[in-house]
Amino acid sequence: MKRLSENILDKFSIDFLKNQVLKNAYGNNDTVIAALDPRVLLAWYLFFGIVPWFSHNAIFLLGCFLFVAATTRLAKVAGLVLFLFALGVFSQTGYLLIVTMFFGGDSSAIMPLLVLTLKVATVSLASITVFSGLDPDKLSNGLMWYGVPERLSFSVSYAYRILPMLMEEFQNVLLSYRLRSNPPKPCGFIGKIKYLAYQVKVVIQAFYPLMLNTAKRSRTTVEVLEIKGYRYAASSREVRKMRLSSLKITSGDLMFIAVSFLWVSIICLVSTVI
Amino acid sequence: MQKNLTAANSSQKLMVFVLSMSLYGMATLFTELIPKFQVGIVEFSVEYFLFIPLTLAILFDPMSAALGAATGELVFSEIMLGQFGGLGELEKFISVTIGVMIAGKMVKDPTNKKMVGIAAITGVAVQQLMGTIVDILKVQFAVEDFEAVAGLPESVYITEGFACLNDILFSGILFCMIPTILLVPKLYGKIEPLLGMKPRTKDSIVSGVSPKLVIGSVIAFAIAIGAEMLAENGMALIDWEASWAESKTALAIGMVVAAVIAVVVLAVIRSKSNSGKESA
Amino acid sequence: MNIIEIKDLTFSYPGAKYATLKNVNLTVEKGDFLAIIGNNGCGKSTLCKTLNGIIPHFIVGDMAGEVTVCGLNTKDEEIGVLSQKAGYVYQDFENQIIRPTVLDDASYACLNYAMKDHRTRGLRALEKCGLVGRENDFIWQLSGGQTHLLALAGALSLDPEILILDEPIAQLDPAHADKIYEVLKDLNENHGKTIIVIEHHTEYIAQYCKNVVFMKDGTPQWKLPSREALCRVEELEQADIFPPQVTVAAHEIQKSQETLRNKKLPVTIEEGMRFFEGFRYLPNDFIRKKSNTNSTKSMISFKNVSLSYRTVKGEPKQVFKDLSVDINDGEKVAVIGSNGAGKSTFMKLMTGLIKPADGEIYLDGRRINGDSPERLSETISLVYQNPEDMFIKDSIENDISYAMRVRDTPDCKSRTDELLKAFRLDTLKDRDGRLLSGGQMRRASLAVGIALKPPILLLDEPTANLDIATRHEIMRTLSELKGVTDTVLIATHDMQLVCQWAERILVLCGGRIIADGERDEIFSNRRVCEIAGIRPPDIFTLGRIIDPSARCYTTDEFERSFRRETVCV
Repeated sequence: MKRLSENILDKFSIDFLKNQVLKNAYGNNDTVIAALDPRVLLAWYLFFGIVPWFSHNAIFLLGCFLFVAATTRLAKVAGLVLFLFALGVFSQTGYLLIVTMFFGGDSSAIMPLLVLTLKVATVSLASITVFSGLDPDKLSNGLMWYGVPERLSFSVSYAYRILPMLMEEFQNVLLSYRLRSNPPKPCGFIGKIKYLAYQVKVVIQAFYPLMLNTAKRSRTTVEVLEIKGYRYAASSREVRKMRLSSLKITSGDLMFIAVSFLWVSIICLVSTVI
Repeated sequence: MQKNLTAANSSQKLMVFVLSMSLYGMATLFTELIPKFQVGIVEFSVEYFLFIPLTLAILFDPMSAALGAATGELVFSEIMLGQFGGLGELEKFISVTIGVMIAGKMVKDPTNKKMVGIAAITGVAVQQLMGTIVDILKVQFAVEDFEAVAGLPESVYITEGFACLNDILFSGILFCMIPTILLVPKLYGKIEPLLGMKPRTKDSIVSGVSPKLVIGSVIAFAIAIGAEMLAENGMALIDWEASWAESKTALAIGMVVAAVIAVVVLAVIRSKSNSGKESA
Repeated sequence: MNIIEIKDLTFSYPGAKYATLKNVNLTVEKGDFLAIIGNNGCGKSTLCKTLNGIIPHFIVGDMAGEVTVCGLNTKDEEIGVLSQKAGYVYQDFENQIIRPTVLDDASYACLNYAMKDHRTRGLRALEKCGLVGRENDFIWQLSGGQTHLLALAGALSLDPEILILDEPIAQLDPAHADKIYEVLKDLNENHGKTIIVIEHHTEYIAQYCKNVVFMKDGTPQWKLPSREALCRVEELEQADIFPPQVTVAAHEIQKSQETLRNKKLPVTIEEGMRFFEGFRYLPNDFIRKKSNTNSTKSMISFKNVSLSYRTVKGEPKQVFKDLSVDINDGEKVAVIGSNGAGKSTFMKLMTGLIKPADGEIYLDGRRINGDSPERLSETISLVYQNPEDMFIKDSIENDISYAMRVRDTPDCKSRTDELLKAFRLDTLKDRDGRLLSGGQMRRASLAVGIALKPPILLLDEPTANLDIATRHEIMRTLSELKGVTDTVLIATHDMQLVCQWAERILVLCGGRIIADGERDEIFSNRRVCEIAGIRPPDIFTLGRIIDPSARCYTTDEFERSFRRETVCV
């Protein structure tokens, strides 16, 4: 509470966020994971995103977790994303685990929670590997191959294009507020509450100019989309085929599948033996 | 001329979609990072930047604004931050779409503040209610003999119901209704020319809640529940075991298959790279 | 052969009361390099949008008359067909880039139109625009000029016969601007493209364009070869367009000297040399621009300031290293340097929006390192390069009064009215700042900036995209600030502004101040100009060619200090 009220706008700088998101999207395009075919990775995600839910074998889950964690490491995911992952796992089950241990819960209580935590962690990490490790264009091509609506795959790649601009715009508007406003002093408890309320108000108010400025931008963008034939392409099979022709399964992809398979079969073996 | 009109219309819709997607998407990116905190039983969360798509839905084509918002949330906060939760995201996608669309359709005259306020809070309420229903159903499906456990149904209804009410009354009014009431009249007549459109008036075709919309919403909601059940099956407190994982023979077979495939694949790679070397 | 034919075109935007284009009749020949000039808001951009089908297919307004492009009537064809005939580069070109990487964006249109060779086309377009080697770069790694070239490449990839550019060099430094025009020239001469530019910079028109269309109130007044067009000095000035400085100087001198009457007016420096043959530099009564304050009170002081920012990949980038500078009370300082030299960052450091990594900054004797911008705003004020970002409220009246209101300034209401009147905004006070014209927007942003009567004012590119009248107005406003806001810093590319106004010039280059002094010291130093990519005003260059000792920065000074030798003898 105290920390939060100290300063949303200061501590959590938009610049930092922008940097992290971009780093996450493009800063790691030279990794092993980024070089893989998006279709393979998406199929891989389907396995590691679903199968862990259906098992409660701790060893099997631990094996999956270790493997997926290794891929996340390979994907060189940005720090912020990992932090969010940790936060997410903790808020879902992790805190229960700690509380139970704190109150001296025996292994019978800890075991199911551990299993649940492992599941959540494995599935989340798998999605991080795939969605953060791939560059957005590849991802959107992969989604398109699986027949996801054109709008969505367009949105994925366009979102990454617009985000830096949008954040800059937002930052500028907030800076305008900072240059001219006169916030309440964050002294004492009441002062802190007031300051927090002020900041929330500013963020909400900032959307008025932001909406108008973004409207101007998106008009140009949509005009250009029209000129550049976006509407033609959306309904043309031929264009779809051309776009997808860049997707190629290489020996690296096969190797990735093989290694994954091998690992899964080994942990299956281990878990049945024990 | 007909063709012209449709081109203009579809691109106007695209414009609203892009606008709603990028703005709401960015906002959800922030909310993902701002922690929630609790004071007593009331949970404060700035979760709601829903006023952005609500405002756009009231000013422009509700369908595009709604879809844009749902897509924006999916792309910016789920995919960009790697927080994609699989099939379960569908529930959020659909409930946001329906909530925003209904609010947008309800308003006939954007300058009428009362109407805007009612629409905004209705949109939030619809979206929240759907979330709550899904949550309750989740427990109901997960726990065998839901009705038989003494006190369970009541406690689930009460806690979920309270959370829902809290969200609607607190976050809903503070972060959705009030900003929407303030923003809509301010933007009305200003933002439309920037997009090259005429302001929405009483005679615009987009407004009006039709039976078709209601039926469509209900069907979509049913799909959302289905998806959520499917996704959350494993999350249930009592796990059901996939039969293949239980049976050791099946497992053994699976492993053999796996190993064989792995070997084959590796062999293929080797031969491929060899042939590559030879040709080079 | 006419590639464009416009007959009796009238167009009004949906919901607008007045027609933006009125009775336009115009023909453009194939292979032309045409400039469209006119004051802010005369319908230039609207006219260009009728050529690629955006009007009437996308913007559905009331359109009468006919537009024929490459023999196709724009009413009957789809945008897809038309956009392959006429490529368009927007003024806000960064919104035109759709894809995240360079080659992808350049070939995007071709891919959408299902062209098998879309990659080769994209590559070819990049090559023509001089972006070879950047194919796989991300958009944000490009500079402003390169982004513009990419927007051009995107339009070019469809191999259109016509290319339309809306104010291509508005915010670029001279080196980038030259690059763009050289590319356009190459396309025009060696690839047979017809090129249409909307342009305020008449120096570039003189150097590159073949013909000029002059628009006024939605109607083209005339179309003439550019030489002839630019010599209509009085008419242009009336319409708020600056003719080239060389032409203006010659025009003025012609008035007083009979013998020059029948000589053709020059439009470029080379022509100027011939025109002024036999002239000598006789420093006349002209006033040296000198700081009129003897104050030694330091208002802004940087002591060994260093700053770097995070990058997506690799090491953080150093913006400033050990930067030290002192600015005294009452000084008028221009901060110049190429795009990306750190001018805006320099200003943001002063306002506390960015905190230095190392070193100290003092404002009015007070150390500000840890201070928030809110606290500094009564001492220093910054007016952004993009005035739209200054408007945070729904009317300019609210915007101007905001800072005072939240501080409970007692005379808030009267001060707001005063400012509205002083900036001639009283009739517009209920309008949203964003919906004003370019000039009004600038005025409003200045009013917002000085509302709190700050002793120091910072202006980032205050004259970009402005026509002559608005510029004069901004200049006048600046001179009227005396008494309250005495210390003013302007970051700009506009060397005419620098020469007219600044008493001291700081040249930023590569994160260091490489020169600091009066205009004589800066512009006479060829090395500094070269390193920092500064181009002195044409009139200064011309003067120096005629007489290497000459130092005149404005046409007035030139006129007063150059005499024909015969006159003196």
